[in-house]
Amino acid sequence: MSVTREAFMALKQAIEGIGRDGARRFGGVERDRVSVGIPEIDQILGGGLMHGATHDIMALTPRDLSAASGFALGLVGLLSPREMPWVWIRQDAAGRELGEPYGPGLAGYGLNPAKLLLVKVPNAKEALRAAEESLRCQALSVVLLEPWGDPKQLDLTATRRLSLAAEESGVALITLRSGGHSPLGSSRTRWEISAAPSRSETEFEVGLPAFLGRLVVNRQAGAGGPGGEWIMEWSHDKCLFRQANSILGVSAPRNGSAPETPSLPHLRYAS
Amino acid sequence: MTLPTARALYPAFTVAEHDPMADQACLERIADWCERYTPCVGLVAPDGLALDITGAAHLLGGEEKLLADCLKRLSSQGFKVRGAISGTAESARAIALFGQGRIIAPGEEAKAALPLPLAALGIDNKLIMALARLGFKHISDIAGQARAPFVARFGADFMDRLDRVQALVQSSISPRRSMAPYVTERRFAEPIGHEDDVHRTILTLAADLARLMEKRGEGARHLELGFFRTDGVMRRLEIETARPLREPKAIMRLFRERLDALKDPLDPGFGFDVIRLSAAITEEISIHEPDFASKNDLAEDFASLIEHLGVRLTPARVLQLQSEDTHWPDRAAPFIPARNGNTALAADWEVWHEPDYAPLRPIRLLEPPEPIDVIAEVPDGAPIRLRWRRVFHVVIKAEGPERIAPEWWRLIGQAPSLTRDYFRIENEYGIRFWIFREGIFGRECVHPQWFMHGLFG
Repeated sequence: MSVTREAFMALKQAIEGIGRDGARRFGGVERDRVSVGIPEIDQILGGGLMHGATHDIMALTPRDLSAASGFALGLVGLLSPREMPWVWIRQDAAGRELGEPYGPGLAGYGLNPAKLLLVKVPNAKEALRAAEESLRCQALSVVLLEPWGDPKQLDLTATRRLSLAAEESGVALITLRSGGHSPLGSSRTRWEISAAPSRSETEFEVGLPAFLGRLVVNRQAGAGGPGGEWIMEWSHDKCLFRQANSILGVSAPRNGSAPETPSLPHLRYAS
Repeated sequence: MTLPTARALYPAFTVAEHDPMADQACLERIADWCERYTPCVGLVAPDGLALDITGAAHLLGGEEKLLADCLKRLSSQGFKVRGAISGTAESARAIALFGQGRIIAPGEEAKAALPLPLAALGIDNKLIMALARLGFKHISDIAGQARAPFVARFGADFMDRLDRVQALVQSSISPRRSMAPYVTERRFAEPIGHEDDVHRTILTLAADLARLMEKRGEGARHLELGFFRTDGVMRRLEIETARPLREPKAIMRLFRERLDALKDPLDPGFGFDVIRLSAAITEEISIHEPDFASKNDLAEDFASLIEHLGVRLTPARVLQLQSEDTHWPDRAAPFIPARNGNTALAADWEVWHEPDYAPLRPIRLLEPPEPIDVIAEVPDGAPIRLRWRRVFHVVIKAEGPERIAPEWWRLIGQAPSLTRDYFRIENEYGIRFWIFREGIFGRECVHPQWFMHGLFG
């Protein structure tokens, strides 16, 4: 049995197209994982944040919603290359309460507003449909789903469906939840976000966006730890997070020492 | 006759108030229904319809059959109806209302109009009375006379009407809706109502339409599907596509989605006897070589996503940001319906940041800005406390003001006239807001009002 060279090369290419744990290549680039920017978190996540998976973001309290939005957009920035379109599906109530995406603000945040497709949906049911449809579109990098409240429709079955669609296409799904005790579903990571004071020299200036993020679920393949808590800053010019300090960190990496605590002038904590 | 007199004569009298709106709506519905005969239907106020059946009559077996069919169907729906076919809409109307014969052969219009009363011209009663006093009662009385005195006395319009009723000049009806360049339809001897049948029909219509459009290398941007029920109800579904579309299966899929998303589902009643698919707006399809680079496929994929979401949620809900060349925050980044073509738009978003300095603009903007109560140490200073949506916030950090003047070059009344002083502030929990004071204290106003305009990450 003779194997032609072409057939052999085609086979070789097909095998190369399959990544390490089933992640496919897109446009010649392996879209597997991205670094968060903080080595400790990357290590706990088993090498960075996964593409083609669901990442849950919950605001710790309703007043933390704007911080949660900021963190979610940070994840969009991590997962979305500048030239790829991304979708933001938001329920009407969320747009009323928290405001609509603002182009100059997104640009200043390090994202590409020209590649945003905003989908306004009237209710949770339509939000799910739109999300599922978007997740099947391989042209996208990220789908940011923002339902309002704690909709019944977003149950275990629904989130499982979405996760499967995300795995299939390699598009990442970020759900930004405004509250409630929604089921964990099949998300790979879940973050609880609260607002954190920014670092600045004086009280006459406001520093970089800062968040107190708690990784409460970490089910990524090769994940190296249960979770942790960090104060993170979003660095828009590098499009990466960086650690503001680790004094609140409840779980340091299993091996290795906790990084040094930088001094933080004018840092105040929520009581 | 007054109402009491009428009641006295016939007590079982039903009285209904005259409702011109309802009449108009009813006429519109009948006009919709009449589109089964021709897509070009015009309203003739207050109670008539004009159908341009040029080139459409043979489809129903000739003018006679068409007219008979139309009159029969409408009267079986309970309407009192009269109809005629003639060379112009005005002539047909005059014959239908006042004449005898129902179908006037070409060239016979002028003769047929002669015995009609002057009311057939559609002129008002005063004029008819005035003419009657002069001894003019029928069209024949005027038709042979010299024009100039009539024009001088009764206006050119009067004689124009006469010409049109006699079909001496061509006139065209103004259709209610613009004519679609591509139309396909199916008529059923036995009305269909089953969902599968309807779907199959749509697919065959889409295939017909695709063949028509292919000849001219075009694709549809706006498609319309009309369902004509046997009992006279007509339902229209419209879809917009993100790119010129021709593929029958894709058209079918879009309509299926539209049908699924309907709040009040399509009710076939006793069945549909005509289903029509038309492409109202078309565009040339740029033929591109099938390219095996995945990039083209992805673009196609994205376009079809926009399309599907647009069909389901309406295009007004599937949006893209546009960068406007203005410093006024409210107008800097409007959302516009997403189209595949404008994915390239605003590639030049001004970068509003410097490394290590906090973003100057919020990620989310409240539209319109919400009024807040503010306590400030000095009238033109930064706030120290504020209340937004009934919650108090202590201001820990405040950066500003950034003064933004209104766009004076826009007309007064179209643009706000007060200068805004923007502050970026952070509260005790580390939540960052974008607020502004409207009006310069002491110069533009005495008590400036504060507003919440956006949220930072």
